Amino acid sequence: MVFSTPYFLFLYLPAVLFLYYISPLKFRNFILLIFNLLFYGWGEPVYILLMVFTIVLDYFAGIIVQRCKDRGNDKGARWAVGISLGLNLAILFFFKYWVLVASTLQSFGLNVPTFDLVLPIGISFYTFQTMTYPVDIYRGDAELPKNLINFGTFVTLFPQLIAGPIIKYKELADQMAFRTHSTDKFASGVQVFIVGLAKKVLLANNIGQLWDVYLATPGAELTTLGAWLGILAFSLQLYFDFSGYSDMAVGMGRMLGFEFLENFHYPYLAKSATEFWRRWHISLGSWFREYLYIPLGGNRVGAGRLIFNLFVVWACTGIWHGASWNFLIWGLYYFLIIVFERFFFSKVLQKLPGWVGHVYGLFIVMVGWALFAVEDFSAMGLYLKAMFGMGAGLADGDFLYYLRSYLPILVIGILAATPLAKTLWNKASLRARQVAIPVLVLAGLVLATAYLVDGTYNPFLYFRF
Amino acid sequence: MSKKYTTFITVLFCLFIFGFGLALLILPDREFSEQENRYLTQFEAPTLDSVFGENGQFMVDFEKYVNDQFPLRDQWIQLKAWSERLSGKQENNKVYFGGEGQQTLFAQYTKPSDLEQRVDYVNQLGANVDVPVYFALIPDKTWVWADRLPTGAPLVDDGSTIRDAQGLVSEDVTFIDLTDALQGDDVFYRTDHHWTTMGACQGYWALMSAMNGSCTILESEPTLVSDTFYGTTWSSSGAGWVRPDEMYTWVPEGGLTGNTTVTRYPSGQPEEGTFYDLSKLEVKDKYSMFLGGNQGLCVIKNPDAQGGKLLVIRDSYADSLAPFLSLDYQEVHLFDLRYNLMSLKQYVVDNDIDQVLVLYSNSNFSTDSNLALLGM
Repeated sequence: MVFSTPYFLFLYLPAVLFLYYISPLKFRNFILLIFNLLFYGWGEPVYILLMVFTIVLDYFAGIIVQRCKDRGNDKGARWAVGISLGLNLAILFFFKYWVLVASTLQSFGLNVPTFDLVLPIGISFYTFQTMTYPVDIYRGDAELPKNLINFGTFVTLFPQLIAGPIIKYKELADQMAFRTHSTDKFASGVQVFIVGLAKKVLLANNIGQLWDVYLATPGAELTTLGAWLGILAFSLQLYFDFSGYSDMAVGMGRMLGFEFLENFHYPYLAKSATEFWRRWHISLGSWFREYLYIPLGGNRVGAGRLIFNLFVVWACTGIWHGASWNFLIWGLYYFLIIVFERFFFSKVLQKLPGWVGHVYGLFIVMVGWALFAVEDFSAMGLYLKAMFGMGAGLADGDFLYYLRSYLPILVIGILAATPLAKTLWNKASLRARQVAIPVLVLAGLVLATAYLVDGTYNPFLYFRF
Repeated sequence: MSKKYTTFITVLFCLFIFGFGLALLILPDREFSEQENRYLTQFEAPTLDSVFGENGQFMVDFEKYVNDQFPLRDQWIQLKAWSERLSGKQENNKVYFGGEGQQTLFAQYTKPSDLEQRVDYVNQLGANVDVPVYFALIPDKTWVWADRLPTGAPLVDDGSTIRDAQGLVSEDVTFIDLTDALQGDDVFYRTDHHWTTMGACQGYWALMSAMNGSCTILESEPTLVSDTFYGTTWSSSGAGWVRPDEMYTWVPEGGLTGNTTVTRYPSGQPEEGTFYDLSKLEVKDKYSMFLGGNQGLCVIKNPDAQGGKLLVIRDSYADSLAPFLSLDYQEVHLFDLRYNLMSLKQYVVDNDIDQVLVLYSNSNFSTDSNLALLGM
């Protein structure tokens, strides 16, 4: 199921809220679990079995790890962690990457079946959430959940199941067992949710149509300004889409009594690639740091080993984004730039005026998005050539038409990617805010509903994740 | 914020989502949308097969059902179009807003990549039959009214399709260039892609000067029969601010002498018809007033005419043209490839056809998937 649809917003969500709040506290996790499974199975009901298998696997792995630890059997605990990690990764590999591996092998003449599996929705997100649970038990960072229902509800929690943020069990364990509900929390959830809904439906979907125009333009006809306009549109679309989903997750979480961590912090204000990744998809970066980078030795190692560690982390980060080689290229692009920054350029940047850093940061990120967004390698090459002045001239009539049509929404988008609105909001008086909130909530709902009911353009960008 | 205030925000949000959710469940479902001119998705109860089978058909249909039956759907769609317009967009759902007060709607046009193949089907027809074959393309509204389009609008007819088609016809086919045949503010509907009665009349003059050397000039003026026509371009645009179009009839029923007859074949069996079926003005698809709408075959006989028998391979644009053609031909056969699988070659022989005209609007010729039947 996808948030930005009328059936989710006007049937599923009211049904969840209604049954959740009329149930006694002790049944609420169970109610959520049932709705989570409905949410998850909506697109492909058979995969509910896969989900149940994952839940049961990690739940019992956690119990075995704890038992071994209690008996002082460190070796046994390590084996249990290793086996559950291996099984989780095997599932992820098979369902997400097998098609890519098999079709690549086929292109080398090997006869392997691709199976043509549909990617289980959100598999990259929830696998990352569950497979580290036994690790946390082993490390002593988390305690066993009270029962299977609490654990299952955590794994499948619908607000963050398909597009993050990636939440570790240890962060949510307390809330799974006990959380408070209040109109204060609910009302603040409503506000965050509406912000997210508006980002996704009013900004991302709208600006995304401009990117689709340029993605569909034959490479040989791309002009330099056109290619940059296209990438600007994609940069805004992806940010508002992704952070919009995260906001909706945080908002709906609060309506149900949960607190999730922020996943984005004005990424386009970053003054370097290193800083961008501290602001973009924060929960993914922190996951890789905690469960891959630091176990590899982190940065407390020699230069050669450090470069190797960074290489592994960025290759994995890239390919996590989708089973296509361009995502690997995109990850390695960041590997090169982050190594360059760490060993040399960040010292230079610090001495330069701040705006140079902003220009540099945006340039790096936008070129990166071209690698990310254009999957076909020859098309990607032509797109990059056009961006760097080797296309069909500087600009054409189409560019002027699209620039004029999209200028207002692009300006709104660019401003919305900065903390400007937040600063103004914080300066406003309490009275002004009290008047503005219901007006904005209603306006957001009404406009978003208009765009969703028309529903001619509402892509789901995370079907690859 | 006080508890009273947060309760107010909570209730506001819940009223909205619960209210529309309940209204969706309770209100009766609509079958047809006048505004969108299409049948709306109905609820289908889930079955084991539709839920767990290939593609989860139940879920796919249910999503469509909720969108189609959403309370106040027409108003939401119009609100979205307004919002797009106010945000500076000059298009919505692949329709350009143009002209004064953005009252003229243009469906976007894309030149086909397989134009050569398409023209070749016409050439095959030319080689197949022994009578003269004429071929003409009606220029798109985005070409004729280019000055009303948003500046620099990319997806339009730039005249090159017709020019290239002309270069591709073989010597068996006579090309009639209509590029500059249509002129004026009343040749197209503002809300529909079709040409108007007046546009069809100008097309008739241009075609006749190439095929017949002369044409009949009507002494009467066109008669206004409807001023509430909303065409298909309007339907997909959601542009609620656009005024409806006017519709006109022109050629007198029965022709100038009263002897002309119209025989329709909507389902294979002959039926008596008229040039203008005014009862169709009561339905949404008012354009079907012309000859009564889509049909595989229609034959118009005018025993008092000078010319012989004309076969027109046509799309719906010919419906408003045919009454004019019947002024000069004893028989006009209108043949629609979409609904008629007879062999054209055989049809020409069986009916003693004297001239064949392949007449398509540029946009239909660029997209129609039945053109291969021309050569059969």
